[in-house]
Amino acid sequence: MSTGMEVCPRCRGTEVEMQYQGKEDGRVIWSILHCRRCSFSWRDSEPPESIVPEKRDPFFNVNPDDINRYPIVLAPTP
Amino acid sequence: MEEIPARSPVEKVTNGAQPSIAAPVKSQRRIGSLRDFLALLAENRQCITWPDPVMPEPDIRYAAVAAGNDVQGGPAIIFDKIRGYPGRRLAIGVHGSWSNIALLLGRPKGTTIKEMFFEMTRRWGAKGAKPQLDWIKPEDAPVYEHRLEQDINLYDLIPLTRINEFDGGFYIGKAAVVSRDPRDPEDFNKQNVGIYRLQLHAPDRFSLLSIPAHDIGRQILIAEKERRPFRIAVMLGNHPAIAMFAATPLAYDESEYSYASAMMGQPMTLTQSGNGLDILAETEIVIEAELMLGERILEGPFGEFPGSYSGVRRAPVFKVTAVSHRRDPIFESIYIGKGWTEHDTLIGLSTSVPIYSVLKDQFPEVQAVNALYHHGMTGIISLKNRYGGFAKSVALRALGTPHGLMYLKNLIMVDDDVDPFDLNQVMWALSVRTRASDIIVLPNMPMIPIDPAAEVSGKGHHLIIDATSFLPPDNVGPDVKLVNRPAGEHIERLMRRIREMQEEGAR
Ligand SMILES: [Zn+2]
Repeated sequence: MSTGMEVCPRCRGTEVEMQYQGKEDGRVIWSILHCRRCSFSWRDSEPPESIVPEKRDPFFNVNPDDINRYPIVLAPTP
Repeated sequence: MEEIPARSPVEKVTNGAQPSIAAPVKSQRRIGSLRDFLALLAENRQCITWPDPVMPEPDIRYAAVAAGNDVQGGPAIIFDKIRGYPGRRLAIGVHGSWSNIALLLGRPKGTTIKEMFFEMTRRWGAKGAKPQLDWIKPEDAPVYEHRLEQDINLYDLIPLTRINEFDGGFYIGKAAVVSRDPRDPEDFNKQNVGIYRLQLHAPDRFSLLSIPAHDIGRQILIAEKERRPFRIAVMLGNHPAIAMFAATPLAYDESEYSYASAMMGQPMTLTQSGNGLDILAETEIVIEAELMLGERILEGPFGEFPGSYSGVRRAPVFKVTAVSHRRDPIFESIYIGKGWTEHDTLIGLSTSVPIYSVLKDQFPEVQAVNALYHHGMTGIISLKNRYGGFAKSVALRALGTPHGLMYLKNLIMVDDDVDPFDLNQVMWALSVRTRASDIIVLPNMPMIPIDPAAEVSGKGHHLIIDATSFLPPDNVGPDVKLVNRPAGEHIERLMRRIREMQEEGAR
């Protein structure tokens, strides 16, 4: 459940926003969260291998402070 | 909404007219939409509705993989009890087996891949094949049954799921994106329909991944350079021919709609999107969006068709401006990843046929092309061998086809006594018809950037294995004679009879 205190499972940033909640008869079943820092999105009901930082494969960590590691696909005209 | 201006870049034919395509499509049932096709699949026991409630992850991924493991006969699956998405429907595996592809081509379940290949080559090359495109007014189009122009929340409409466990977010993997040349927005034939992956970043915002060589990549660069608005329409839940043929390499000025219609031998009904693009009138959902000029956002990773994740990149961003959809829309998803997956069945034949068509033109000796493996990263070509080394020349020509340049990594050449779609036969040819001098490796060549074997992304090798027979001026070696394996109609008759005897025994 969204508590507003989430940490991004991928970059450990705290700029996390709750974007949507799946509900049944008014009851929240899950929430979709999004990290504004590294653009990771996740659902809080997913298996821990996808959303728990300690359980995730660290290969998939993203460090937005090192932005040049991530190539620009179509370089915009300056 | 304004009436659509008349335009006739291709001959218009009204519904019900006889398909003018040459040979093939006899009394094929009209498929006008995804719903029509799902109904046809269900009648043939090739579509099931999942009876139990499922979680978006990992249940849908698991079921899609399990159904797809039956490459010959796996069904499409409709999920309508997804937890947290009440009332929403998702279909997956629509092109996930050869039986489903056969039904799309108007053939019975169990049609062999080879038969479908030749069926498609006949349609591809049919003389006088005329596309039939009908335009209807938006107010008559089912896709406009519902329309939203503000407070758009795609999460509310589309039951998105994480396709693979380390994808960077929620992807739309089977979106047909319509765009026009921003410099020539009136030209219907410069309108492109392409399959691109979209990642949602907000309820009304998504990134689109393209490379500069793709039509839409080129268009994005032009729009940004000249500060022109660039609007697209994203169609979800489409006529099943669109996903199959929009991924086929076409010349820049050919319309994918015309092509899909000609290949189906059936009309396609189009209407206009709110932002001026031609869309399929019976599609399930259409998202209208505009490029946010110059903006880039972190995209990826995404589990791709070679069975590896593409890395994280900075990709263009689109803002959603409107959404139209049919009543109770069906969101069509795809499982893609380490093969075999729906992606392979979806594009395998439409990858093979254009290579065949180019080669056949110059080398009538070419018999068939099987480029089913991972978008043609491995392919097999059969031909009538003319003289020693001939197959190597044909192989080099294949590498020069539009698809061959970047995709045909491994190429096996076999004689016409080997069925390239029967891997047991191909392995026989490899076993007995190769010598060290039959192997050519071209290192350091351009290659699709997502080949996980690449040492440098975008570079790789081409490997040619000439497994054709030895003919002069080659040294044909010692006095060897091949066994004449009985084949033909009488053997096939016996096979059928033996199968019947087996089945009788079972009863
Ligand atoms: Zn993050």
